[in-house]
Order: sequence, then structure tokens, then C-alpha cells
Amino acid sequence: MKQPKLLSLIAIALLSLVLVSCGFSGRAAVSGGWAGTAFVDGIIYAGSRDGRVMAINASSKDIQWYYATDAPVYTTPIVDGDLVYVGTYSGRVYALTISRGIERWIYPRAGSIGAIVGRLVVANSTMYVSSSDGRVYALDMTYGDLRWKSEPLADKLWTSPVIQGDTLYVSTLDGNIYALSVETGELLDWFFESEAGFASSPVIYGETLFLGSFDRRLNAIEIGSDVPAWKFPREGPAGNWFWAPPVVHRGIVYAGCLDGKLYAIEAQTGAELWVFDAGKPIVSSPVLLGELLIVIDESGVVYVFDLLAGSGDRAVLLRTIPIGAGVRSSFSAHNGLVYVRGENNSVYVVDIDQGEVVEGWPVSLAIEK
Amino acid sequence: MAVWNLIIGNPLLNVLIALSYLLGGSFGLAIIVLTVIIRLVSWPLTKRQLKSTKAMQEMQPKIQELQKKYGRNQQKLQQEMMKLYREAGVNPLGCLWPMLVQFPIWIALYQAIMKALATTPENLLDLAQRLYSWNVVSQAIPLNSHFLWLDLGEPGDIVLAIIVGGTMWVQQKMTQAPAVDPRQESTSRMMLLMMPLMFGFLTFMFPSGLALYWAVSNIIGIVTQYFVTGGWGYLKISSPFRTAPVKGK
Repeated sequence: MKQPKLLSLIAIALLSLVLVSCGFSGRAAVSGGWAGTAFVDGIIYAGSRDGRVMAINASSKDIQWYYATDAPVYTTPIVDGDLVYVGTYSGRVYALTISRGIERWIYPRAGSIGAIVGRLVVANSTMYVSSSDGRVYALDMTYGDLRWKSEPLADKLWTSPVIQGDTLYVSTLDGNIYALSVETGELLDWFFESEAGFASSPVIYGETLFLGSFDRRLNAIEIGSDVPAWKFPREGPAGNWFWAPPVVHRGIVYAGCLDGKLYAIEAQTGAELWVFDAGKPIVSSPVLLGELLIVIDESGVVYVFDLLAGSGDRAVLLRTIPIGAGVRSSFSAHNGLVYVRGENNSVYVVDIDQGEVVEGWPVSLAIEK
Repeated sequence: MAVWNLIIGNPLLNVLIALSYLLGGSFGLAIIVLTVIIRLVSWPLTKRQLKSTKAMQEMQPKIQELQKKYGRNQQKLQQEMMKLYREAGVNPLGCLWPMLVQFPIWIALYQAIMKALATTPENLLDLAQRLYSWNVVSQAIPLNSHFLWLDLGEPGDIVLAIIVGGTMWVQQKMTQAPAVDPRQESTSRMMLLMMPLMFGFLTFMFPSGLALYWAVSNIIGIVTQYFVTGGWGYLKISSPFRTAPVKGK
């Protein structure tokens, strides 16, 4: 073989190698969304990895309807009245009828806002949407009209807002918390600036916001203050980010961490009460079911804790139930059953009392085209 | 893949992010500085490659003479050329081996840039599992993807594509000797155009952070080549009426 040809072939082969290597970890990692489940009146609402919104009859396991949006869905469906709402990664909010999945309105009617990743929030007949264009939008829930939009707050907003009274609080990836008027969207006086960016959406309990930051700590920030009330852990960082918003119950913060641990922390002081090591990252927020705390790790193992059965300083682990699929999305629980969407695009129903996945589930969300 | 990430991927990713923090939060500057550092670390290999290239350049008159003499007898030509290489102590593929050794670093850098930018929520979540608990890394997240007129997480524009393609063409042209054999000449011409065009085209497809790396890497390559080989090499405006020199040294 002639040398120039050989060199050409080698160069092309090396180039291909580089491109293949780039493809493995770059843009080839297509977003699939992690819409969770909502359970309302016997119907499970879930988003699929290909951008569909589904309504599944929990008794018959039939998919009653599905609606194909135009992009991956990260927001867990929200049901209010006769409509179910989702936001898409293409930057559109859909309001669909719960009976047949017919679109009632889409915002914006033409074009799009920035990608919607954070959970939709409903209060006072208004839907609040944080968008990757850095703004918060307030929409009329009946007609999808824009009530207001905030000024750009960050490069992008991937977190969801939280509302208390007439104030909306939103955290940003670059480490700020803004307070906005829920009526007008105007920025209020209080503003919090952190050294590290915020990895999670805030949760509000009393007058305190709890949220995780990229410095591997959970922060308690009293509204009106410009320094954190506490940071957890006090000594050194945790093993990874507190990605999921924590749950606060009876003065205790239950925070799942990407280091695979569930931390129980005293809300007032930030003192560690107990810690449970699941061994795998906890991506989804814990869910309360009465006095039971449900936690699911990324490998799909469901942990059920009894918060009252312990001696006071420790919860009792009642059940460990593997569902056999990875879990990154939020999940819902109702009447002893947990509804989970797995990363394999299937919905599982877990019976907490029986300690197993209910017979006949999972239901695949894949629809033949 | 886990071993790859442990040894090369994750260290490079964390250094890139830490650099971004140390350079005032500019991810673009971090890419440039890391590219320079990598080129410095791999300097012994680059030097060897350039010396090999220079030796090949110096042998071109003799090679062209052989090509003229044995152009019709390919087998004889190959034998004579190999003899010439042996006598000069040059391995014609010697310039490729250093490149091969550097490829894993380049691939890891490509991956680090794309991982660090975390353009989707999944990317950001996956990034968490690859970061060290260094303070400078924690403080740097999320990275500012804006640099000059570019959004480093978005595909590049025509200006960047021209810079990438242009610098690559210059770098290649500096080392590519003109061939006497018309078939070889057409292959050389094709290669000289194909790679810059391909990378220029890829600039529109990949995040511009990568294209920035390509452009900076090319510019460093041109500068080092200029100083090591002592000039612009074959980067001359050649007249179609001028024939290539045939005399030996």
C-alpha cells in the first residue's frame, strides 16, 4: 500500500476514534426527562421518556389516554380540577383534560419560553413556572394567559419555586434566592446570595428555607437573613450534593443525598439526629405517607421508615423493596401504595404493607407508533 | 470505562473546573489554559513528532528525486525510499506514534469539556458523581458557559468554524510536502482540504467549547512548529508554473 494512502487511512481512523469518543459522552446524551407520577382519583398521571403524558387506570392498568408533547418532560404532572398540567423541555406548558387528554391550552400559544425543568407550582388559581430563560412565569390556570413574568433572575432556572403567603421564593444554580410578589412578579427587598450555587429547589418550613448547594451541604436560610442559620454537615462537606429537595416533618429535616445517605437533621439547630446509608445515590425527594417516610434510591430500592416507632432519636426501617429499575423521578404515595416511574419507562406500584411490587405491574409507557 | 474515568477522565474534568474558578469563573479561559498545559506536558512527544516531521521535510528533495527516477516502478521506488529512510535514521510513521500516544488525552479533554458544561439536567446530575470534594470545584459549579461572543455549550458559529478550519489548514500546510507523483499530489491535496473542512463542519455540530479547544490547539501547534522546524515550512504560495526542487541538499 502506498504511504500517503496509508497515512490518510490512519488519520481518518484516528479522527473517527475521536468523534466516536466524543459522541459517547457528549451531545449523544439525549435528555429523556424524569417526570414523576401523580395519583388522583384512581388515575396515575406520568410522563414518558419520549415526551408523552399518560393517564393510567390504577385498577385496570389500562392506559386511558396519552398525549404526545414535542419534547422530554421533566415536570411531574399536576392535577387541578379537570385539568392536568405539564411543562416540557421545549419550553411550553400544556393543560390537558383529565378525562381524555385533550389540550385545553398551551402556553405560549406560539413559540416557546426556555426549557422547563423545575416542578410546576400551583397557588391561588395561578400556575408558577420557572424556565431556563431565567424567568418565572405566572399563568392563569383556566385559559393559560400570562399574568406576569419576572425579570431574568439567572442564566437559567432549573429549580422550582416555593410559595408562602404572598411571596414566591426561587433558588438559582448560581447561588441566589430571590423573593417575588406572587401578585405582580416584582422583586421584593429580601435577597440571599450564597458562595456556592444551589443544587436543589427550596422547601419552606415555618420561616426557613431548606435547600442543598453544590458545596455538598444542606442550607437552612431564615427568610430576611443574609447568612445561613446553619449548614449541614457542620464539619466538612457531605459525600455529594443534596440534589433532591428535603422533606420537613415535626421539626426534622429528612434529606436524601447523592452520597447514598438519608440524613435526619434537627430543623432548628442543624444537628444530625440519625443517618441511614442506602449505598446508592438518592435522587428523588422522600415522600411522607402519614408517619411513614418513603425513600427510593437511584437503583430503585424502596425504603420505608416508621418515624414514630423508634426511640425518638432514630426511625425504624420497616421495609426494603427493590423494584428492579432505576429511579430518578419524583414519586407519589397514596393509601399504602407507592407509584413510581422507573428509568426503564415503566410505572410500578409498590405495596408497602406487602413489601412488594403489586402483581400485574409494571405498566410500560412505551406506545407503539 | 470506570478505569478510564478514574485515571484520566475525572482528574482532567476536575482540573478543568478548578481552573475555571481560579480564572475568575471563565470556562473559556480554563479551556485555553488547560490546552496550553496539556501541550506543555506532552511537549517531549510533540518535539519528537516535529523533529521527525522536520527530518522528513529535509529529505523531500531526495524523495522527489527518487520519485522522478523510479516513478514508473512503484516497487523499486518503495525499496529506495525505505533505504533512504534507513540511512537517515528516520521512521516515516514516526510522526504518527506521538500523535497516537496523545490521543487518549485529547479524548479525555473532549469528554471533560462536554461533561463540565452539563447542558442538560441529566448531565448536571451525572456530573455530581465525577466531581472531587475540592472547594474550588464546588465553588465553580455551575460553570459560566459564555466566553467572548460564544456560548460554549451551544454549537459554534461561522466565525469559529473559519478559525478552526483555517488554523488547521495552516498547520497541515506547514508540514505537507508537495509530491511529484500526480496521484500522490491529489491525495495530499484531498487530505489538506478534507480535515479542515470536516472540523469546520463539526464546529456547527459540537459545543463551541470543543471548537475553542481545537482552535487553540491548532494555534499552539502552528507556533511550536514554526519555532521547532524554523519557519513556515511548506506554507508558501506556490505558483502553478514553478516546479518543485529536485536537487538534494
